[in-house]
Amino acid sequence: MTISTRRLFVFLAATLVLALLSACSGPREYFSVIPDRDGTTGQMVVTPRQGTALTLDRTNASATVRGGEISPAKLSEAELKEMYKEAFDAQPMAPARFLLYFVEGGDILTTESQRELENVLAEIKKRPAPDLIVVGHTDRVGSVADNDRLALRRAEKVRSQLVTQGFSPESISASGRGEREPLVATADEVAEARNRRVEILVR
Amino acid sequence: MKITWLGCLSCCAVLGLTFSCPVVAQVGAAGAAGQTASAWVAQVKVSRGIVRIERGGQRFPSPVGARLKVEDTVITEANGSVGLMFADNSTLSMGPDGEVFLKTFNYDPTTYMGAFDAFVKQGTVSLQAGNLAQGAPDSVKIRTPQAEVKGNARQFLVSVEEKK
Repeated sequence: MTISTRRLFVFLAATLVLALLSACSGPREYFSVIPDRDGTTGQMVVTPRQGTALTLDRTNASATVRGGEISPAKLSEAELKEMYKEAFDAQPMAPARFLLYFVEGGDILTTESQRELENVLAEIKKRPAPDLIVVGHTDRVGSVADNDRLALRRAEKVRSQLVTQGFSPESISASGRGEREPLVATADEVAEARNRRVEILVR
Repeated sequence: MKITWLGCLSCCAVLGLTFSCPVVAQVGAAGAAGQTASAWVAQVKVSRGIVRIERGGQRFPSPVGARLKVEDTVITEANGSVGLMFADNSTLSMGPDGEVFLKTFNYDPTTYMGAFDAFVKQGTVSLQAGNLAQGAPDSVKIRTPQAEVKGNARQFLVSVEEKK
C-alpha cells in the first residue's frame, strides 16, 4: 500500500517535471504578419498544439511558440528585417502586368494592343526564368458560361501568338475569368470595351 | 538525471508524432488533389547557394527555372536561400538551413478556389498570399512542428528553430 502510494507520487512528480520541461525547452517558433505593398495586413491566426489561437492583425504583430505553448512577442520592423534577411532577399520579382484589348464579341486584338505585345516580349527578356500567365476577361454581355468560354478563347489566342513568336509553350498558361473581374463595374448585359481584355502576367 | 533523459525522450516522441502527422495526411491529399498531384505548381525564381528538391526519396539540385510538384520538399543548406512563385501568384521564399514540404496545392484559375498547405519543418520563411487567398479566406495554411497558421494575411513570416 505504502509502496504503491509512493510509486503514484513518483509518477505524478515525473509527469509534472515532464510538463514543465516540454513547456520551457525545445526549439522556438516565431510568427509575424507584415503588410503588403499596398499597406494591407489582413489576419494571421496562429493555433498552437496546446492552448488557444492567437490572431495577429496589426503591422509586425508577432507570437512565439515553445513547448507547444503560444505567447505574444514584440518584434520591431528592424528585428524582422534582420531575422528574415535572406528570405526577403530571395523573394521573386513581382509579376509585370500588361493589358490587351479586343474588338467586341471576338478574339481579335485591337491594333494598339497588337503593338503592346512588343513590350511584353521586352519584359520577358529582363527575367532569368520567365513564365507567363494569360488571363482572359469579358464584359457582361451574354451568359456567365458563354463568357467563361469567350474569356478562355481570348487567352488561348494570345497564348498561341506568343508561342508563334518563339516562347516555350510549357511556360505559358492560359485561363479565363469570364465576367467575374471587370475593370469597370457595369450592370449585366452592358457592353464595355475596357472589360474585354486579356491580362498577361510576366513572372 | 533519469528524469531529464525521460523528458528528452518524451519531447522527441511528441515532436516525432507532429512530424509524421503531415506525412500520414499527405496520402489522402494526393488522392483528392487528382490531376494537380502530377502537375507543376511552382517555379524556382531565385536560387542562391545550395538548394535541393527532394522528390520521391531522391534529391535534385534546384537551379533558377526548376519546377516543383505537390509533395516536393525544398531544402536550403547553410549558405542557401530560395524564392518560389506559385501558379496563383503567391510566393514563398526561405533563408538558410530551411526545409519546407509542399503538402497540398489545388488552384482553379477561373474561380480562384483551392487550397495551399505547406509544412515548415525548420528555417525562416516568408509567404506572400496570391489569388487563392482572395478565393476563400482559409484556403492558405502553414503548419510547423508546434502550430498551424491560417488567415487572409497578405504576408506571413514563419521561423522555426532547428531541432537540436
